[in-house]
Amino acid sequence: MKRTTLPLHAIAWVVGAFILIPVVYALLGGFKSTQQLSVNPFGLPSPWEPGNYTEVLAEGSFWRQVWNSTFIAVATTVLVVALSALAAFVFARFAFRGREALFTLFTAGLMFPFAVAILPIFVMLRTLNLIDNPLGVILVQAAFGLPLTIIILRQFFRSIPGEIEEAATIDGCSPFGFFWRILLPMARPALATVSVLAIVGSWNNFMLPLVVFSDELSWTLPLGVQQFQGQYSSDTARVLAYLVLAMVPALGFYAIAERHLIGGLTAGATKG
Amino acid sequence: MKRTCALIAAAVLVAGCGGGQTATTEPEEGGAPGKVTLEWWHLSTSDPLKTIYETRAKEYQAANPNITVKMTVLENEAYKAKLTTLTQSGKAPDVFATWGGGVLKQQVDAGLIKDISADVDLTNFTTASMAAYQFDGKTYALPTDIGMVGFWYNKKHFEKAGIAEPPTTWTGFLDAVKKLKAAGITPIALAGKEKWPGHYYWAYLAMRIAGLPALQQAGTDHDFTKPEFVQAGQQLKALVDLEPFQRGFLGAGYSTPDGQSASVANGKATMELMGQWAPTVQADSGEGLGEDLGFFPFPEVEGGKGAITEAFGGGGGMALGADAPKEALDFLKFLTSTENHTKAVESGAVLPVLKGVESAVKDENLKVVAESLASATGFQLYLDQAYPPAVGAEVNDSVAELFAGAKTPEQVAQDITEVAKSESE
Amino acid sequence: MTTVTRRPEAETLPAGPRRRRRRGRPRNRLTIALFVLPALALFLLLVVAPILVAGYASAFRWNGFGGLPTDFIGFGNFTRLFASDIFYTDLGNLLLLIVATLVIQLPFALGIAMLLHQRIRGRALYRLVFFAPYVLSEVITGVLFSLILSPENGIANQLLGPLGLESEWLSHPDSALWSIFVVMTWKYFGFHMMIYLAGRQNIPNELIEAAKIDGAAGWKIFRYVTLPLLGPTIRISVFLSVIYTIQLFDLVWILTEGGPAHASETLAVTMFTLGFERAQVGYASAISVVMFGLSLVFALAYQRLVMRRDLEGATTAMGGKR
Repeated sequence: MKRTTLPLHAIAWVVGAFILIPVVYALLGGFKSTQQLSVNPFGLPSPWEPGNYTEVLAEGSFWRQVWNSTFIAVATTVLVVALSALAAFVFARFAFRGREALFTLFTAGLMFPFAVAILPIFVMLRTLNLIDNPLGVILVQAAFGLPLTIIILRQFFRSIPGEIEEAATIDGCSPFGFFWRILLPMARPALATVSVLAIVGSWNNFMLPLVVFSDELSWTLPLGVQQFQGQYSSDTARVLAYLVLAMVPALGFYAIAERHLIGGLTAGATKG
Repeated sequence: MKRTCALIAAAVLVAGCGGGQTATTEPEEGGAPGKVTLEWWHLSTSDPLKTIYETRAKEYQAANPNITVKMTVLENEAYKAKLTTLTQSGKAPDVFATWGGGVLKQQVDAGLIKDISADVDLTNFTTASMAAYQFDGKTYALPTDIGMVGFWYNKKHFEKAGIAEPPTTWTGFLDAVKKLKAAGITPIALAGKEKWPGHYYWAYLAMRIAGLPALQQAGTDHDFTKPEFVQAGQQLKALVDLEPFQRGFLGAGYSTPDGQSASVANGKATMELMGQWAPTVQADSGEGLGEDLGFFPFPEVEGGKGAITEAFGGGGGMALGADAPKEALDFLKFLTSTENHTKAVESGAVLPVLKGVESAVKDENLKVVAESLASATGFQLYLDQAYPPAVGAEVNDSVAELFAGAKTPEQVAQDITEVAKSESE
Repeated sequence: MTTVTRRPEAETLPAGPRRRRRRGRPRNRLTIALFVLPALALFLLLVVAPILVAGYASAFRWNGFGGLPTDFIGFGNFTRLFASDIFYTDLGNLLLLIVATLVIQLPFALGIAMLLHQRIRGRALYRLVFFAPYVLSEVITGVLFSLILSPENGIANQLLGPLGLESEWLSHPDSALWSIFVVMTWKYFGFHMMIYLAGRQNIPNELIEAAKIDGAAGWKIFRYVTLPLLGPTIRISVFLSVIYTIQLFDLVWILTEGGPAHASETLAVTMFTLGFERAQVGYASAISVVMFGLSLVFALAYQRLVMRRDLEGATTAMGGKR
């Protein structure tokens, strides 16, 4: 490249500032008192007051919410990936009447996240006695996660050459044996991708836990953040500290699983 | 081979679902057998009441070792939303805070609330404080607080703007607003985002112009289009047209750092129309005005049917869920006992609902409120609680739009009527 | 429903493996049933059935209490909805957000993607940072920005004030929706940027080189070579944005609850307030049905008219937005 990249860097810096200023503001703001924050919103804290952070961390409720979010995310993921893998296997490698229709039914589900169906879901969960029960969130999230997971896995299962299956069958492997011992291990990258997507989706979900959980003990992190802001609305610095701490797990996970996350999100979009 | 395959597949499925199930029942379980857990929901997120309630719960547990009081404390808006979802699911907490009125009535109709008429002795409670919780001669909650809405104002600002006396007429009030503006002071703070503080203005104007009976009648004939209700909107619009509110008031919260309460508490605005809890919240959300804080009742509107002595407001009470264990009633009585109620009144957080506790009111302003209330010639519960939820919410909503200039007074009257009619049979 | 066909030759399976040994055996039927039924049952129970229930409930006046609705009013809820101002406010807001996304957010994302495709130093870091907001929950984003955009105490005004760009942001009917759009852009442009970057990387460099040899440069290459080749990617990102905007709830709920005076309200927010705060579950279900219809009509029309050939890819990427 002959041209200087300086203007490009300038643009990237401006955009970077747009992204980072809110986060850095929250991070530093958490180290100030609300009093200090109002007179010194931008500068470094002086003095540094870690009290907001340590107090949140000392509260049982924060850790309970982290645990609840984790538990629900993991349970959702295990359920949705297990069910989807089985279905995707059949959709990818069996021929039967009505297969495409059935598959289309699942894919149509992609267009309708919780928002459209939240009221009836609430009514159904109520009938099933799943209100205030983590299972209410887990099952619904898993159900709505099926379409995407099935599609990605099916695509991957299809790409595995038929010769491998034939060899396995000749060796006496049953369809399930092939699925379990050969296909799944080979599909590890795809499984990782769909798992990461399911975890992030569950972790950030707000509307569903909002209507399902009234008991504070089963709240997830997003509910906790909302309640904390309501409760300490007059103490901005404290709210900022809570926000930052609530960001840490998601950002940490992103740092570890970046490849799978981005891979999963962009895979389909570009292979079309 | 075939069979193994199916079995394994089934096993995987069972593991998939079952794993979730066994683990999730765990947080569901309450205390060990033989013990009683009382679910107690309230919305006192700020002191002194927050600590008082915590102390009460601890005391009660200490006196009754087999009982655990599990508190769920939610901030106002979240509380309303959560309680609605819970009650819709056919449940109610064992003990929970209520404002009574149409909302409680709907819960009663759904069979969610315990009828405590036979179990409580009401002789000590003031009549006004009980009104919101009694339907068809039956009692469904005990009050913990009663009060009224009025203007809380900054006396220094009034002095600075040359306003000698708090206004007693609407014209006088509008004049005061103009004088404050002329003196470069923001006359009124309002939490536009939360909607309920705004509805106080319309409700009071409707009371002053159309009169109390008209408001009560509208609750039954669902007609809010009478000329007097439209006039109430027009008078409110006259106020809004003076642009008396703080910057960004349409998006402001009530107790947030730049909200309605803090604006008054920090001397950025002069007045707020608010209930008896205003001084407590001001002290919590901002610096507080101390001696400079004053209270005056909502002014009279010239030619209107209502009197300045008629009060608008409400209190708070505690109701019991239909399926609450019998200990819940005992806990409720404990909470509302003379001794404990006196402590709460002394803290300045609530006003007396029991006869003979009046002297426990320490704060000068609260004394004024308590006296105004005691001498009130009529009383109207908050409209967003008095009417069924949909109607109350529409009042809040439509009035909020009037504040934003998005609805005319006529539209406000019409839209409330429409909802009220569609919700009735 | 899922019977094994005896003549699978009738079906052509694109890119699929040989299935010679599979056809028509009872044991395959069992496998198919056992493998698909669990997913299908969950899907029917919690995705399909609720949508049907919404349709059913929308024909009743119902406050949500008690068992099933009984007060049948036919299309009453729809008549009422189509006569209400808020419904048209919602539609107007939806349209504005879609247009703003297509005209501002996506081109911005595309521009940044092209920028980061250059070999500038630190581009991996830029990419990591620009995408990061996407993994934060809507609630965290919303609470953070509600503090930042506070007209009195927020840093947005303190930063932009000196530039003369002060605003009441979320607190004024004229600026609320635009403020929400700014927050949406903050959170989501990185997602679209990632898609475009991946799409750009799939374009063979030879094509670009060939264009250069033919004498094209800079803008011309982008306009006549890169952009058309990015077509499928862009069409999908547009599709995702529109579907997401129709359902928009979390961010708006946290930032403004639809206010001031419904200025930033969306269909989902209206539905939520009616259903969960006003206990008008029947009426709210009518909005669910309308949202469902809008999504369906848009999805079908778009797939039929705009991206016939990219279908497979579209469906694959779709869940990414939620």
